[in-house]
Amino acid sequence: MKKTVPLLIVMIGGLIWVFWAFSPHKIIQDDFYNQFYLPWARAMAPFAALLGVISLSMMHSAKIRRKAPKWQYSFFFFAGFVVTTLAGFIGGTQKGGLFMWMFENMQMPMSSTMFSLLAFYMASAAYKAFRARSLEATVLLVAAIVVMLAQVPLGVKISRHLPDISQWILDVPNLASKRGIALGVGLGSVATTLKILLGIERSYLGGGD
Amino acid sequence: MNFFERIQALDRRWIYIVVALAIVIPLMIPYNSDNVTTPPTENLYQMIDSFAGREDRAILLSFYHDASTMPELFPMEIAILRHCFERNVKVFTLTWLPSGAPVIDFAINSVKEEYPNIVSGVDYCNFGYIPGTLAMPTVIGMGDNIAATVKTDAEGRKIESLPIMKGINNYSEMNLAVEFSGSVAGSYWIVYARPKFGLNVAVGVTAVMAADQYPYLQSGQFIGMLAGLKGAAEYEKLVDVFGAYREPDSPITVQTDEDGNKIVPGRPFSRELLQDESTKELINITTQNIATFSPADYEAFTAKYPEKKAVFDAIKTMDNGKVKIDVTQVSKAQQDEMGPLAWKDLNRMTRNILYKFKVARIGMNAQSVAHIMIIVFIILGNIGYFISKSRQAKK
Repeated sequence: MKKTVPLLIVMIGGLIWVFWAFSPHKIIQDDFYNQFYLPWARAMAPFAALLGVISLSMMHSAKIRRKAPKWQYSFFFFAGFVVTTLAGFIGGTQKGGLFMWMFENMQMPMSSTMFSLLAFYMASAAYKAFRARSLEATVLLVAAIVVMLAQVPLGVKISRHLPDISQWILDVPNLASKRGIALGVGLGSVATTLKILLGIERSYLGGGD
Repeated sequence: MNFFERIQALDRRWIYIVVALAIVIPLMIPYNSDNVTTPPTENLYQMIDSFAGREDRAILLSFYHDASTMPELFPMEIAILRHCFERNVKVFTLTWLPSGAPVIDFAINSVKEEYPNIVSGVDYCNFGYIPGTLAMPTVIGMGDNIAATVKTDAEGRKIESLPIMKGINNYSEMNLAVEFSGSVAGSYWIVYARPKFGLNVAVGVTAVMAADQYPYLQSGQFIGMLAGLKGAAEYEKLVDVFGAYREPDSPITVQTDEDGNKIVPGRPFSRELLQDESTKELINITTQNIATFSPADYEAFTAKYPEKKAVFDAIKTMDNGKVKIDVTQVSKAQQDEMGPLAWKDLNRMTRNILYKFKVARIGMNAQSVAHIMIIVFIILGNIGYFISKSRQAKK
């Protein structure tokens, strides 16, 4: 019973969406989708956000209570959460208010800085690890240099053919491998979905079987 | 320890310092460079431009990212919004992320500052944040009826009563969705909206994600793509050359026809024009202070302000048969005499581009230097590697 009921829920739920995707019948398109699913989906969305806020607050308050490693940082979460929420509710989220000021002058530069660190790691990794150790690595290295040069105005000044060569690399070898991976992933997901719908794959229930 | 052994063992902090300098210096000292436009960018530009001035066409911009990927994605958003505001294309915006909502506001406000005639609810409409859990029903619902699916905009106004909705019902009219994302872009649109309703889909992605999108681009599921800062720089260039271009005799104010419809300024896309030498003076990213006219163009320009002709004649100089006016040499009294409209028009003729509309191209200069530097690093690292390897073999 402990396994049969969850399996039935998954199978029926999954099959309903299969019918929805392939059948134009009124019962599935209007009665189920428009009348039942849509209002429930709209009602659930705010609860999901609320659940996230509660869960995050509980995690950080527990961290402070237990004095877990780096517990001091949890105060920054509460400070940021309270100040941003109050700024949004009291002053509004439009230009001229505290909320937008914090976004422009705090969140935007800090988030962008974190993302830009990637450039430093890439340069360091390229220098330390990008070696022509084998034929395959040499092909990769040459392709990378051509694409990198073709991406920037200086590269076009070196040769006007570079963008065409780079585009060929992206359109042919890159595309062939990407499409191969995409097809593999697609077929794999269809197979796994079918296995779940038919009750063959049960590992998501936990505990092993 | 010789030179190559030393650089093999180079501390990574030195690399970090060189990277920082290579990026910061070109950002602080811009230089003029040309970003060759690619078909994915040109196709997107042309698709948006084909909606210019049409009441029964609109585009939807989906801001599916937060502040972290703004350095790459924000210039694209600014460039597309500027294109739409220049060429009278109706724009709708939305985001599936709560942290994407301020990005939309910031983008719209940044561009709108330069277009005082653009009005919310008339020229553009922000749907705001729609929870990601509602993405699928929203994408499908808008295919039938936009106003019935997204009932209110971000300001709480009823969508169906907004003037922008005149002539816009579903994807037959709002026929292009462009999604900006730092991870998976355009998936909802190509899975649900494109096969069912024939919606045109395009994406703007970070450079590291661009390679993943090529299969969809080649299959035609995406009609265009802006790839990283380069895509943004290409789009900025296209807007400067076509959308924001004004002939010397073009009026600076919004013009309407007999029926009260806005006349679309700018000029349509042309590949021949893009390769023409004359476009180079339209895409300079260094500060431009001098308005240059042929004698005929000067006459056409001053004919718009006949009563100010004497002021223009007093400040003009002749150089190689061209009429030139240096706006830095115009005194405050002459500016007042000219009036704000003529002064603004004269400044526009210098073809000086505002920082926010050339930020991607300035960034591309930094990227040029950074790419060359990384290539040099790779080559030096490999030379050192092979030298040390051959020495080991000799031993």
